[in-house]
Amino acid sequence: MKTEGPALESMLRRVMETPQDFLAEPRLGSSAGVGVAAVVGDLWRLLSHRPGPEVLALGGARGGSGDRNRLAVILLLCWLLADESFRSRPPSPEDLRTLLGEGAEELAAQVTAAKFISDPHRREELVRFSLARVGLRPRGESVAQAQDRLTSLSSVERARVMKASRAAEQRAREIREALARKAAEESADKWTRE
Amino acid sequence: MRDEPIQTADHDRHPALSEAGRRLLLHLREHPHAPIYRNESGHRLRPPEVEQVRAHEREVMAAPVPAAESGPPEWLESWVQRCYELVPHFRARGVPPERFEDLPTVDRGDLGRDIARFVPDDVPLERLIHFRTSGTTGHPLLIASHPVVAARYLGYHRRALRRFGIELRHGRGQVGVVLLGHQRVCFTYVSVTPTQDEAGLAKINLHPDDWRHPDDRARYIDALAPEVLAGDPLSYAVLLELPVTCRPRALLCTSMTLLPGLRDRLADRFGCPVLDLYSMNEAGPIAVADPAVGGHVLLQPRMYVEILDPAGRPVPDGQRGEITLTGGFNFCLPLLRYRTGDYASLHTVAGEPVLMGLEGRPPVRFRTRAGAWVNNIEVTHLLRPFALARFRLHQDADGTLRFGWEGAGVEGADLRRTLLTLFGADQPLHLGPLPAEPAKHVQYTSDLPGAFP
Repeated sequence: MKTEGPALESMLRRVMETPQDFLAEPRLGSSAGVGVAAVVGDLWRLLSHRPGPEVLALGGARGGSGDRNRLAVILLLCWLLADESFRSRPPSPEDLRTLLGEGAEELAAQVTAAKFISDPHRREELVRFSLARVGLRPRGESVAQAQDRLTSLSSVERARVMKASRAAEQRAREIREALARKAAEESADKWTRE
Repeated sequence: MRDEPIQTADHDRHPALSEAGRRLLLHLREHPHAPIYRNESGHRLRPPEVEQVRAHEREVMAAPVPAAESGPPEWLESWVQRCYELVPHFRARGVPPERFEDLPTVDRGDLGRDIARFVPDDVPLERLIHFRTSGTTGHPLLIASHPVVAARYLGYHRRALRRFGIELRHGRGQVGVVLLGHQRVCFTYVSVTPTQDEAGLAKINLHPDDWRHPDDRARYIDALAPEVLAGDPLSYAVLLELPVTCRPRALLCTSMTLLPGLRDRLADRFGCPVLDLYSMNEAGPIAVADPAVGGHVLLQPRMYVEILDPAGRPVPDGQRGEITLTGGFNFCLPLLRYRTGDYASLHTVAGEPVLMGLEGRPPVRFRTRAGAWVNNIEVTHLLRPFALARFRLHQDADGTLRFGWEGAGVEGADLRRTLLTLFGADQPLHLGPLPAEPAKHVQYTSDLPGAFP
């Protein structure tokens, strides 16, 4: 969220105007449908990156009951990220991989792809979540405003913040324990002491 | 000397200890005049880390410390980014402001609230150590550190020593340094320094309770014949009273204001330079006093020093304010605008950054009989000729001054005469001894309204 990105309204409009090609059934195994891996590859090239096998694998079918929605969400994200505003300053391949990998999984576990288009709140969640994952915030918003709005809208973001907070507490506890050990107390050689 | 195996725990304290190092440790512990060592510790450096520390020393010795007016160093931006990404305390602030000067400052109270939040996420915790510091407020504070960080101190000492024409020479079978304390309870132990070819290190307490016989103190120090002595004004004042005859090549002094009077007595007695180091657990050795330039010369090439006003704004060039640190060599505690609580002005002398008028605490003003205010620096300046180990000046609400001091050979009448030249002949002034206190203490205090500008 360090950098200002596109305006929220234009992104919301783009989601509402998602073309039929990106709403079609994703291909699962040998079934008919859109090849999501190919769409992901196109997005990478559009943003001046070279898609490796690990990137194309993001769009591959994995099986399981939730996989169809995950691939549908990836299609939606690909449409969003193909916006012209990203082309002059493309997100890094690492951020894109995280968004289309873990990000898509987290989103798909909560909401269906169709609802991300039809429900205004979920639509805003999708846009804000996506921008945040690639280090952007909506134009005209401060970091705090963007973070607050995202946290209040997104159960995925709330879960992420909670998880990070628990991890931070655990780390702090481990540091305090490490500092209290006898060996830490004994310290180590310095040629002067203050 | 008993030839017994070093205990297993010693392997952690002195990894890869050579036979010569083992014998030296035994010699230091078992010497007939040795003190009663109360504790155990060691360098804890693993062989690859010894090389890392040597490489760091080479860098420290070679790199210049940028002049005061050269502005923020080029590494500053990435340092800020790194702190905001990896250090929980800074990360919680969100995105750093665009201008470095707009970054909020941090002080000792912040570290004290939870030091764990200042340890970066990428620091492994298995070998974390700590240094305990009491400061002037009496609140103990644990500083997170690592054996490599502790060992890096020597590089800055070498840089300071080179300034006075001294290159360390002691190595295997010799004693590199004896650290002197003088406290009722003191952490004491022996070790070797691997980057110095396992020269010996002894941290001893000059308090008589730590010795089988008080005369052993001088005998032991003489027997060790260390290349360097390290201590504070208190322990050096005690040392001056002992019939020590050894000839160290330098004395390192830390922790408290070293007045020129005591410095000169030490230099005369031991025939070597006395280095007054400005050093703190939070940052290590920051500067060394050099009488030739009239101040403390900065020692750390990767430490950005600012002088700030009470609101956290940089003061105009050359003006006095709080010393504030960014950078440093302790990767367990990266500093980002850390307010030290110490005051000075920053100048460039012959291309080097120099802290002038360094004082350990916030400025205090004292009122003279004529109603004028004088700054505590003027008092320090006045006391320069005296070999005071410790002193304290307090002004009561009615203007009465109370001066407490410790210092061998200093006459109260001389102190009185000197102080009254500043405050007026009819100034009420009580002179007396100091109460026993921890090593650090507040030097200047006042109950007068307006004493703290």
